[in-house]
Amino acid sequence: MTSEVRRPRVPPPFRVVAIPAALALASIGGIAAQRSGLPAWLGMAAGAIAATLTVLALPSVPTRRATVVLLGIGGLGALRHAAVPGADDSLLLVAWALATLVALVLVDRADAETIAPMPGGAPLPRRGAETLRNTAVLAAIVVVCAVVLVAPLTDRLSRRVWPGLAAGPSDTASSSLKVNDELRLTDSPRLSDTIVFTVDAAHPALWRGETYDQFHQYYWDRSEDSSRSGPPLTRAGDTVNVAPSEDDLGASVGSELRQTYHFQGSFTNLVFAASSPVVVETDRTLCERGDGTLFVGVGRCDGDTAASPAPDLPGFGKNAVYTVTSRSVDASEDDLRAADRTPMPATVANRDARVPATTPRVRALARQITAGLLTEYDKVRAIEAWVGAHTRYSINAPPAAPGEDAVDTFLFRTRLGWCEQIASSMVVLARSAGIPARLATGYAPGDRDALTGRFVVRERDAHAWTEIYFPGIGWKDFDPTASVRLASTGGSSRSWLDAGRRHAVVLALVLGLVVAGAICWPSLAGGLRRRRARRASWSTRTLDRLERLGRRAGRARRPSETPREYAGALASHLDAPALEQVGAAIDADAFSRDGTSADERAAAEAVLSSTRP
Amino acid sequence: MSTPARDALSYQGPGDLTLTSIVLFTLGAYGVAAGAATGEEAVVAVGVFAFALFFAGIVWPIVVLARVRVDVVSPPDAIVGEEIDLRVHVQGGARRVELRVLDPPGQWWQTPVPVDGTVPHLATRRGVFQMVRVQVRTSVPLGVFVRTRTLRVTLPAPVTVAPKPANARPVLLALPDDQPTAPASIPQRGSGDAVRSVRPYVPGDPARFVHWPTSARRGDLVVREHEPPPAMGVALVVDLRADDPEAIASRAAGIGIATLAAGGIVWCCTCERDGPVSDLVVDARDLGRRLARAVPGAPATAPEHWPVEVVS
Repeated sequence: MTSEVRRPRVPPPFRVVAIPAALALASIGGIAAQRSGLPAWLGMAAGAIAATLTVLALPSVPTRRATVVLLGIGGLGALRHAAVPGADDSLLLVAWALATLVALVLVDRADAETIAPMPGGAPLPRRGAETLRNTAVLAAIVVVCAVVLVAPLTDRLSRRVWPGLAAGPSDTASSSLKVNDELRLTDSPRLSDTIVFTVDAAHPALWRGETYDQFHQYYWDRSEDSSRSGPPLTRAGDTVNVAPSEDDLGASVGSELRQTYHFQGSFTNLVFAASSPVVVETDRTLCERGDGTLFVGVGRCDGDTAASPAPDLPGFGKNAVYTVTSRSVDASEDDLRAADRTPMPATVANRDARVPATTPRVRALARQITAGLLTEYDKVRAIEAWVGAHTRYSINAPPAAPGEDAVDTFLFRTRLGWCEQIASSMVVLARSAGIPARLATGYAPGDRDALTGRFVVRERDAHAWTEIYFPGIGWKDFDPTASVRLASTGGSSRSWLDAGRRHAVVLALVLGLVVAGAICWPSLAGGLRRRRARRASWSTRTLDRLERLGRRAGRARRPSETPREYAGALASHLDAPALEQVGAAIDADAFSRDGTSADERAAAEAVLSSTRP
Repeated sequence: MSTPARDALSYQGPGDLTLTSIVLFTLGAYGVAAGAATGEEAVVAVGVFAFALFFAGIVWPIVVLARVRVDVVSPPDAIVGEEIDLRVHVQGGARRVELRVLDPPGQWWQTPVPVDGTVPHLATRRGVFQMVRVQVRTSVPLGVFVRTRTLRVTLPAPVTVAPKPANARPVLLALPDDQPTAPASIPQRGSGDAVRSVRPYVPGDPARFVHWPTSARRGDLVVREHEPPPAMGVALVVDLRADDPEAIASRAAGIGIATLAAGGIVWCCTCERDGPVSDLVVDARDLGRRLARAVPGAPATAPEHWPVEVVS
């Protein structure tokens, strides 16, 4: 048996550093996991474990150096992932920054604690209080610096207009980002978490790119009236004024919504906008279609020739910025019901209310749904409700074969589809009921970033919805997909298997924890029993408190001092004579036959509580 | 410790950057550059965060340490090779600092501010010192930059550092009768054998001095009074003009202290900054002070007829 005392690998002051270091790395791990499509908690756990092991279990590396290197790696991770903002990432970045700050403050304090205190001097300020104070001051400094410096440094952020990086003809972009002449309902959409753009706007909206008004059984295109260019746009510097069409009343009298788009993709020549755009701030040459949508063109866009951009036309590159001011009428349900009393403009009736080329049973269904309803609005709501009740959403739905009527197939055979089938069906049904409608494509609002307040729009937010025209009000958005329920995934045996595969990592971890718990439980239980058995007596605990008080006051107990002697010495050191009775109570409790009464204990504890070092 | 004449201090830089500073600067530079190029706000924010910590970590210790003041009180006497306790008072803007005494560089001590404490310091050089050099440093709050200041603190009273006594035998030689022997302040360290007279007993007299025959005759206790012992001692002539004056001073201290300890009388002849000095030594501390003040130069001459021990 040896009397050698095993020294801890990490000096005690440094142990506490492991907590903020683990939090910092956990934050970065969480962000990285989200980016990789893994559960955030998995990355957080991995980061926390790695940090804890690095700080506590590397005896050959000085703890301070290990911690700083660890925080540096965390910083690189933060930089890497900050380049692509996400809805949940901002809070994790703030958590990383705060944890890093606390870790740096603590590691410096811990470093100081390894140096001997000056003999006869006072004890250091309390670690927690000092850390809190310094962290608060530094956080304030960082916030002030951020407020003062971030905007000037990111010059582009203060701009409302920037063309972005040059985008060449070879750039490939999603079809949702490029001008299209037609929309095929037979093509499955490409959905991913890739961020397309972020939008600074006061409230969410559907960010519209294009509209289609002619249905051809399995694809959409535009009528000549919609695709020809609208009235010439007027430009003053970077500000382009969009002349609203006569029938779009919302663009003339509606309330404004200003949106600044920060484009993150590689290329787009569409100008996304909510509702009816009236002003665009950009240095690109814009063209307007007859339907009010905008795109980037070349040369003059006049009313004589159809504007059809070539594939290599300039557009917006990565990091481009443009600002759009849109208008829309805030109409209540009563307003929309009352719109029937206003005559329908002839252009809209001829273009957007024509019964589309579809099957008789679709038209019959439209009549059936809207039978007995008097107003256009009620009919629209009835169609929307019917679609929501009788169809299911599935991105894996079998698309209609070319040549088949996609709406008929969706409504009567599969009743399974994604936003394009759902919205198309509503448009076709509405038109079959004599209501002017068109299909709009673009992006859903996306998630709002908690830190920047921007709406983060990803590729998976690509969307299609229905626009219904109300006389005297203009075009209003209806999103039937929102009321459609998700489709079931199929047979039970397969779903169990799929669920098992999807959660394999989680299951493995849970299983591992259960096994580890089963293995460790006997020793843990024994340890707990021994700990309970060793529970300190009142005199031991009170002596501990007395010694803590003495250490804080710079007068530690000498090995040769009895509790009574020590209490007496401390009483004169702190000028607190009452401490002597604490020493007497400890001695009485430990050694006298009768012990101490509850009152004596309470009195001693009160003295300890009221004495300040 | 430093003498007033020792003004030429080696250059002390403002402090040292740490690994933390390199990490923060790299993160800051990369973040700001990459963020400004791409315009991504979050990247710039991370860069600004790192830069803010970097600059705060440099400016903070400079500011707090600029207002730190240190006062030092030293005991009046010290001996080479022994530690003395310097009483240190630190005040200023910092919450905690690390402190050490230079000449020679001692151990770092950490302390809150303000504080009164004690710093043990090794006396390594013989002499009289008016000043100590104290270094204070801090890296609060982030450990980015270790700011160090060297302060020259004037002592309210100088400290006299005596040489370390070498091992030596006492030199006890008979002193001339007509020469002044031990002054009244020097305690008698023994008594002669010859009885001079008797006197009435007073409390405290040793019982062995009671003269019993006379006490029996007179009926009261009387004690013997002895003749003082013959004066023994030596005149030390300390000449520090050799190659190793410290060794000479050390040997002189050893001889003098051994002689004093043996009850002898020591006369010390040295050369001080103001010229030769020749005087009787009162005690070991007095001898140490005399030797501490001694400088290389022609020492004073010993009194006539005194036995002389030249230490050179």
